[in-house]
Amino acid sequence: MTVKLIDKNSIALAGTCPSEDAEELFQYLLENRLAVVDWSQCEQAHTAVIQVLLASGCELKGTPAGSFLHGHIEAALRRARGQIRPFAAGLEVRNSRSRQD
Amino acid sequence: MTVANPKHVLIIDDAALVRAYYRQALERAGYHVDEALNGLEAMEKVLLHSFDLLIVDVNMPQMDGVTFLLTLRDKELPLSAIPALVTSTEAGQQDIAAARAAGANYYVVKPLKQEALTELVGMLCGVAA
Amino acid sequence: MNEFIEQFLLEARELIEQATSDLLALEHQADDPEKIDGVFRAFHTLKGAAGIVDFEPMGRALHAVESILAGFRSRTNVISPTIINECLACLDQVTRWLDDMEASGEVPSGAGAAADAIVRRISGTAELDAPASPGRDWLARLRDQNPGQFSEARTALRYVPNPDAFFRSEDPLAMIEELPGLISIDLALSDPAQPFDTINPFTCAMEIFVLTNVDTETVIRIVGGASNQIELHALDTKPRADSATTLSSLGRSILEAQVLLLREPRQNGRAGRMAAAGSVSINVLRQAGLEAAAASVADALNDGNAISLIASIERALREKPGGVLSEIVDTSRPSSAAATRVLRVDTTRIDTLVNLTGELTVVKNALGHLATRAQAGLDAKGVAANLRDLQTQLDRLVGEVQRAVLRIRVLPMRQMFQRFPRPVREISASVGKLINFTVEGDDTEADKAIVESLFEPLLHVLRNAIDHGIEDAEERQATGKPSTATIVLRAFRQLDNVIVEIEDDGRGVDVARVREVAAARGLVAADTLARMTDAEIVDLIFVSGFSTAREVTDLSGRGVGMDAVRTVVERLGGRVSIDSRPNVGSVVRLTLPFTVMMTRLMTIESAGQVFGLPLDMVIETAIIPRDRIVSIGGAAAFAWRDKTVPLISLATSLGLGSRVSDAGQARVVITSAGGQLAAIEVERLGERMDVMLKPREGLLGGVKGVTGTTLLGDGRVLIVLDVQELFN
Repeated sequence: MTVKLIDKNSIALAGTCPSEDAEELFQYLLENRLAVVDWSQCEQAHTAVIQVLLASGCELKGTPAGSFLHGHIEAALRRARGQIRPFAAGLEVRNSRSRQD
Repeated sequence: MTVANPKHVLIIDDAALVRAYYRQALERAGYHVDEALNGLEAMEKVLLHSFDLLIVDVNMPQMDGVTFLLTLRDKELPLSAIPALVTSTEAGQQDIAAARAAGANYYVVKPLKQEALTELVGMLCGVAA
Repeated sequence: MNEFIEQFLLEARELIEQATSDLLALEHQADDPEKIDGVFRAFHTLKGAAGIVDFEPMGRALHAVESILAGFRSRTNVISPTIINECLACLDQVTRWLDDMEASGEVPSGAGAAADAIVRRISGTAELDAPASPGRDWLARLRDQNPGQFSEARTALRYVPNPDAFFRSEDPLAMIEELPGLISIDLALSDPAQPFDTINPFTCAMEIFVLTNVDTETVIRIVGGASNQIELHALDTKPRADSATTLSSLGRSILEAQVLLLREPRQNGRAGRMAAAGSVSINVLRQAGLEAAAASVADALNDGNAISLIASIERALREKPGGVLSEIVDTSRPSSAAATRVLRVDTTRIDTLVNLTGELTVVKNALGHLATRAQAGLDAKGVAANLRDLQTQLDRLVGEVQRAVLRIRVLPMRQMFQRFPRPVREISASVGKLINFTVEGDDTEADKAIVESLFEPLLHVLRNAIDHGIEDAEERQATGKPSTATIVLRAFRQLDNVIVEIEDDGRGVDVARVREVAAARGLVAADTLARMTDAEIVDLIFVSGFSTAREVTDLSGRGVGMDAVRTVVERLGGRVSIDSRPNVGSVVRLTLPFTVMMTRLMTIESAGQVFGLPLDMVIETAIIPRDRIVSIGGAAAFAWRDKTVPLISLATSLGLGSRVSDAGQARVVITSAGGQLAAIEVERLGERMDVMLKPREGLLGGVKGVTGTTLLGDGRVLIVLDVQELFN
């Protein structure tokens, strides 16, 4: 199984994760907001899967086995998450209260 | 342009326009050019003449580029050692990987301009620019 | 679509006519800023029009020319014949496209290649050493994020795959993986504001930024098919070594491809592949004049050993002209150089950590003993008291470790300060002013995150000072100032803060003009404006929406205002202010916290508002069926893992009004605060993020339940909750 929900706190990615895995990973992360994703056995992952990791801001555990993931994607995800979001606009704050003057 | 000991290139592509376009560029640069419409025809030609480079398009009827290359590389030396430049409209990783697995030396995505083609062929054949 | 196309054709042809006549005029007189502006605007408008009819390749080509024009304008204001020719050539191509469209009634297909060619040619004409032309925001960010990697890169690209890429079985990152000479990749979501639970995993909504050390031609060869989703930028203009004996980037690409070919595991055809790869490699090396390398490959080929053949080719790839072996990054193994950054650390800081580790070990051992006692069921009260003690000690120690670790992240400003002299020189040259630029206190230390984030805002402040603050030589002499102006960049520590100042001896902020602009733009009500002191007026330049007309032109309408400077600084937990004295000068002062605590948050939403919850307080999230929630007096609770957990509704407790709850279930976040379990009912769960917390002050100081705030990237405020207070 390339994507597997271990328990509420952890999800594992292993082998070559195809684009279909993105949906499953997304559901798991949606239902288990605190889960950490262990990708140490992951050799390759389709962009759709990486996109889910990027969007969720989830914590990643382990060094991915695949050289492209380890050499470039890991750093890219870390930068996207750990920085003061130079590329991100943050969340929308839909303020229904009137501002105090 | 006449060149002493010109290199021989075989263009394998089912589109007449493409073959004509490449031929013009390469003949201007001093190469000796031959053409084939598909993999089958190409196989006949390589058995008869010796070439320094094959330009193989992936999408062809009768026998496509990848099949042709696989068959070629399976043959005996020196036939199986002819360098091959594979061209395709696709830039997907699977396509590049498949071509490489079949034995492509290099892969380019079309459209390929004449100057780019000439430069590339020059490098692959070891001809001074 | 038809009615747009007609309109588009009309407008586009007009714009082309205008631009052409301006360009021809510039051929006779190259320094006519009005005409240059006219050309720029024509390209800019044409680009916009192309967007409306969805003619992407045309938009891309125009964008490339427009950006070069923009960079050009900010530097010299004199346009070169080369640029004029390129602009005219581009307009020719656009005219051809327009003719096609007129004949066929639709956007021409296959325009991508011609657009590529334009992009390629125009990128080659620009001198692109730092600073990058304004408006290339992503490029500038890439550069500032990885200065070391950026300087090695020859091509930068921004790839925005089609949203239906996944449906078409495309894998954008896999294509990027095929690029030779990859230096770094950055990823970003197209809409970072989109809540996590609404994203569609099958739609591609991200952007990929790549730095590679091969040239744009090589990149185009590989990405050809996706070229209409990719923006390329050529970077390198360093003088090449004598190209007679160097491998060109195409040569490198070919050699790398041979190595990959040789690594193919398939048994059949192995001999053929090896021989073909060998002869191509020899050809490439000979052609590049690298005879020795070619001979070495030929030898390995004769031996018939694939491994030594691969090794000989890789060796050739590493060698620099002159046959000197240099430090390489083996491209077949993951590049860890991309990920790590080196930090020099004072050894006493490491010693502190070592001591703390010792103390932690003591606590750990004590806990061990205690566990044994607890297991034996002896002296429950004594055990409990000891546990409390240890917990207090641990609390203190963890705090100290955090502080000590953060101190390691602290580094001197020097690294960042030393990037300024050059751009300052260029900016002053471009506006024709003489500036004496000095730096003070560059050994002042601050947190790594701060030092790295300040470059852009400080650069903007400097640009502003040079552009607007400093008078030109005549004006200065007339007021008795030395004709050379002075700008000082200074940093120093003050208690818990780091202060960075930019001081100039220019004309100060024009208070009257600021008043005017603020009134004209309706930024402040007229009567309030009348009552404001000069100092308060001056502070208005940091307000969003304020930028004088001149600023907009200078930065080509794509610039950043002083409001962005304030946003960045506040996001870092600091403040920025300006002290100005008419005709004497100004001091822009950034006050930043010395150490910065990053907190990991989870976002939650209730009653239409989003809040942050420190992740270290969250135990679990769960869905509880409403019939399991019991009312106890005025409060509510439910059973969870054999415990009773009090429950509050976030909406109600923050006074946001209670909504009729969702039928059968409640979504709750179970937290632990001060050792007590407590659950909060929320409407939605959001994503996780790392933020720097600014302690609450001002209006929020009196609000219960708020730990602090942080500024999100788009300038909005995220309120971070204090769970303990919510429940008290």
